[in-house]
Amino acid sequence: MDTKTLIADAKARFNHNSAKAYLTEKYSNKLLVADQGGLWKADAQTIGFLNSFTSDDLVAIDTFNNPVKVVRASLLQILQNTYTEVMNHWHEEWKELESKR
Amino acid sequence: MTRGVILFAFNSEKFNYYDIAEFTAKRINHFLNLPVTLVTDEESFPDTDYDWDNVIKVIPDKNNFREWGQWINKGRFMAYDLTPYDETIVLDVDYVVNSDNLLRVFDLYDDFCCHNRADFLMAPDTPQETLSTYSYNSVWATVMVFKKTKRTEQIFRCMEMVQKNYKHYENIHNFIGSIYRNDYALTLALRIVNGHCERKEDYIPWNLVHVGKKTFVYADNTDEFNTNYTIMFDAWARNKTKKEYITIKDMDFHVLDKELFVEMINGIR
Repeated sequence: MDTKTLIADAKARFNHNSAKAYLTEKYSNKLLVADQGGLWKADAQTIGFLNSFTSDDLVAIDTFNNPVKVVRASLLQILQNTYTEVMNHWHEEWKELESKR
Repeated sequence: MTRGVILFAFNSEKFNYYDIAEFTAKRINHFLNLPVTLVTDEESFPDTDYDWDNVIKVIPDKNNFREWGQWINKGRFMAYDLTPYDETIVLDVDYVVNSDNLLRVFDLYDDFCCHNRADFLMAPDTPQETLSTYSYNSVWATVMVFKKTKRTEQIFRCMEMVQKNYKHYENIHNFIGSIYRNDYALTLALRIVNGHCERKEDYIPWNLVHVGKKTFVYADNTDEFNTNYTIMFDAWARNKTKKEYITIKDMDFHVLDKELFVEMINGIR
């Protein structure tokens, strides 16, 4: 029996809250990037922080709470690329799941 | 620098862990492109076409029982001495590798890491497990990644010490249930080696995802390396159970219920 028939026979309801939690679980870990001796999260806060400086070098606190001296532009570029790629996939899968009943 | 995975599989009266291990090993080869070493015993290892990287036969300690029968889970500390690799992932056989995500751990860790947080699919608000009401939060031995260093040797030696003196640690920490758990042994070993402190760098920076009780996993197709699953759950509302489901893809998960795991792999075969 395929899963579509199984779902129909069981009159199962799609659980949007659990699906959202699953997507958050799956994609938030993909936002983590190891670079320049630190572990970074490619989130809005970190990208905004790096963007707010103009200096070449910067000491930033990584996700392990260690201060790491980084080449700002290089890290920013990597985080922006990661953010864009991951969020596009996240959005794509969310749209797919959102339409389920 | 060699990398590989070690699985431990000892058949019990109720479950054929070898079959589960072979299913998992094939997925490790496919998704992670890593060789797999099996630690097993003479009785569990069948005639097989599957090409293991190494098969190491040991005499297991069978002295552990759960409500459903014998549970041969002791001896995980041997991974340190038995591994043929410079960098090793020790996986529970019931961990479904469904993506290449685990490879990212090699870029993130110092010399040891494991999960310290777990989430349940279909029950995202389940509290984190503790050794007891007043003791530490449990870490999970389901996935352990390590390099051979003095510190990781101490961690595994310490796990051995806790296993061999489990009653003593059970008395001190008032464990919930008296069956031997690798998770508890690892929790205490990590604490002891780290001077009774927590070291954030020892934790995989994402959660272990469990499929728990009353939850069923159905592969969306019969492809051996299928990545799409439907997860169905019996939700209780207004005095009756109602089926709820989600679909997942490209995400690893750990199946707690062995019967469910066997059903799932039989559905795929």
